[in-house]
Amino acid sequence: MTGVLVTGATTLFGRALVERLLARRDGTTVLAVAAERTWPGVQDRRLHYLPLDLTRSRDVRELLFGPARDLAIDVVVHSAHHRSVRAKGRRVHALNVDATREMLQLAERHPTIRRFVYVGSAEIYRVDAALPALIGEDHPIEMSPEMPQRVRDRVEADLTVCVRMGLSPLSIAVLRLAETFAPECGSQLFDYLSSRVCYRPIGHDPMLDVISIEDATRATELALASRAQGVFNVPGADVLPLSAAIAYAKRIAIPIGASLIGPLYTARARVRGTEFEWSLNRRRFRWSGVLDGARAKRELGYQPQHRVRWTAPADETTEPTPRVHVDDTLRATPPT
Amino acid sequence: MGLAGHVTRAVTRALLPAAEQERLAGLQLHDAGHGWDRLGMHPDSVKLSAATTRFLYEVWFRVDSRGAEGIPSTGPVILAANHAGLLPLDGVMLWADVLRHTSPPRVVRMVADTFVPRLPFVGTAFSRTGVVGGNRATVDRLLDDGELLGVFPEGVPGIAKPSSERYQLRPFRVGHAELAIQHGAPIVPVGIVGSEEQWPELARIESFHLWGAPYLPIPATPLPLPVRYRIRYGTPIDPRARFSARQADDPGAARALAREVQAAVQALIDQGLRERKGLFR
Repeated sequence: MTGVLVTGATTLFGRALVERLLARRDGTTVLAVAAERTWPGVQDRRLHYLPLDLTRSRDVRELLFGPARDLAIDVVVHSAHHRSVRAKGRRVHALNVDATREMLQLAERHPTIRRFVYVGSAEIYRVDAALPALIGEDHPIEMSPEMPQRVRDRVEADLTVCVRMGLSPLSIAVLRLAETFAPECGSQLFDYLSSRVCYRPIGHDPMLDVISIEDATRATELALASRAQGVFNVPGADVLPLSAAIAYAKRIAIPIGASLIGPLYTARARVRGTEFEWSLNRRRFRWSGVLDGARAKRELGYQPQHRVRWTAPADETTEPTPRVHVDDTLRATPPT
Repeated sequence: MGLAGHVTRAVTRALLPAAEQERLAGLQLHDAGHGWDRLGMHPDSVKLSAATTRFLYEVWFRVDSRGAEGIPSTGPVILAANHAGLLPLDGVMLWADVLRHTSPPRVVRMVADTFVPRLPFVGTAFSRTGVVGGNRATVDRLLDDGELLGVFPEGVPGIAKPSSERYQLRPFRVGHAELAIQHGAPIVPVGIVGSEEQWPELARIESFHLWGAPYLPIPATPLPLPVRYRIRYGTPIDPRARFSARQADDPGAARALAREVQAAVQALIDQGLRERKGLFR
């Protein structure tokens, strides 16, 4: 591994992954890409940051056949997707799905790229009482047209990458991560627990699987350093009932009928602008869905090790992020 | 620990003898990080259930158990029993009996029909004591982890048969036999006597399918009758002696093993019926 291209690099996950790669001290070059104009993380001579709009096909092409080639990037970690749960429309789809397809197609004919790691989500799995509570990689996918665009986009992007496995000259790995309990990661559980009062379906207390940023980035690092191809579930070290998660976050749980929760959260979102979307969670807040990570353990050597910090989101202090330089020499085109 | 945790432990301390509490401290659990296993089982709930079922086990049904010492103390095992009754009290008694008679104590992961997890409160309570939904991926993983599964191979037809056909087994399904061959897990046949008469059914509402239930039974009595339960465990049938793991996909092999298990369960039932002096004795 000589160089890694990381998309979505300014998210909490992206920053942590970049810092992890820089900490390897094996001379790996990191080309970090995101929409933000400035890089908010640590500075390092091996890090090159490039602000870029991945929805623009020309920008992606110039990224790969410009800076990525010049830096001899051989691994791509594609984790970019729209951060807002509620966002929808063509532009969101362009980032979530079209950019993934574009990256993959261009990487396949790239002179230096050999491996493509797609960082997806376990959100794509269907959770139901009649389905196994332990979710393997061949578990049914959530294909319901009623699901919000976020889920449908994630399913489409995941399958877009999966369909090239075995056909592509690249070595491809798809990671389906358990929910990352952190801000800026689209974590529905984090948004859910940001309210002092949490409504949950009466009579049901499903098991959830939550992963820490440390484990999510460690699994990704293992995947990009490996040659193993295929789909890998990446579970977290926190498998616990919904009620316990609420208790750990020091929130008040109010069990009510499931049919009432949707309207309540819709009203709350309109009044307070919260990101929590009941339609995304109505199944997994009733039926258990825990990732089976046997394949990731066997082929990547990954086992969850780091617990989530169950601090109530509202109690967290936001540390100021350092502002560092943008490597203008690598700029492909100005961000829009 | 929250209020529910304190109440759980207080009730357990009040109802369970100190020696039994000490014994259950040795419960084997694949802790997934916070005290629950990945499918939701929690040792405090297991102990609470052991405490609260004592009255049913010792006083109401006065369970007479024989042969539990033959249950392997470690590794994957499948218990295959006959199934009857308005409510799955036979499953509860089997669960309690195995917990009492295994050392170190083993929790039977009873495999329930897929509608059971849908039931509000009941589904959650069952999962805390180790009950799992009846789907292949889940039970496969449990056997990989060396757990003890409890199955009723007759399925719903077993509990739906008329009283005139009590203790006549419905044809066993073959899923448990396939699992046993695939995982090299011994099958322990179990005959349960008493469950067929425990709660007479007056009628059933066939059109009732709320939460996926097959029907709604109407009991003839407000409480189950205090019949005496007899639980008989047979000699474990080890599929490894005759089948290789690859033969799990051979329908003939699975059917042959399932028939053998059914015959063993029927023999244990007949033995229990011969030994009984009356419904309540």
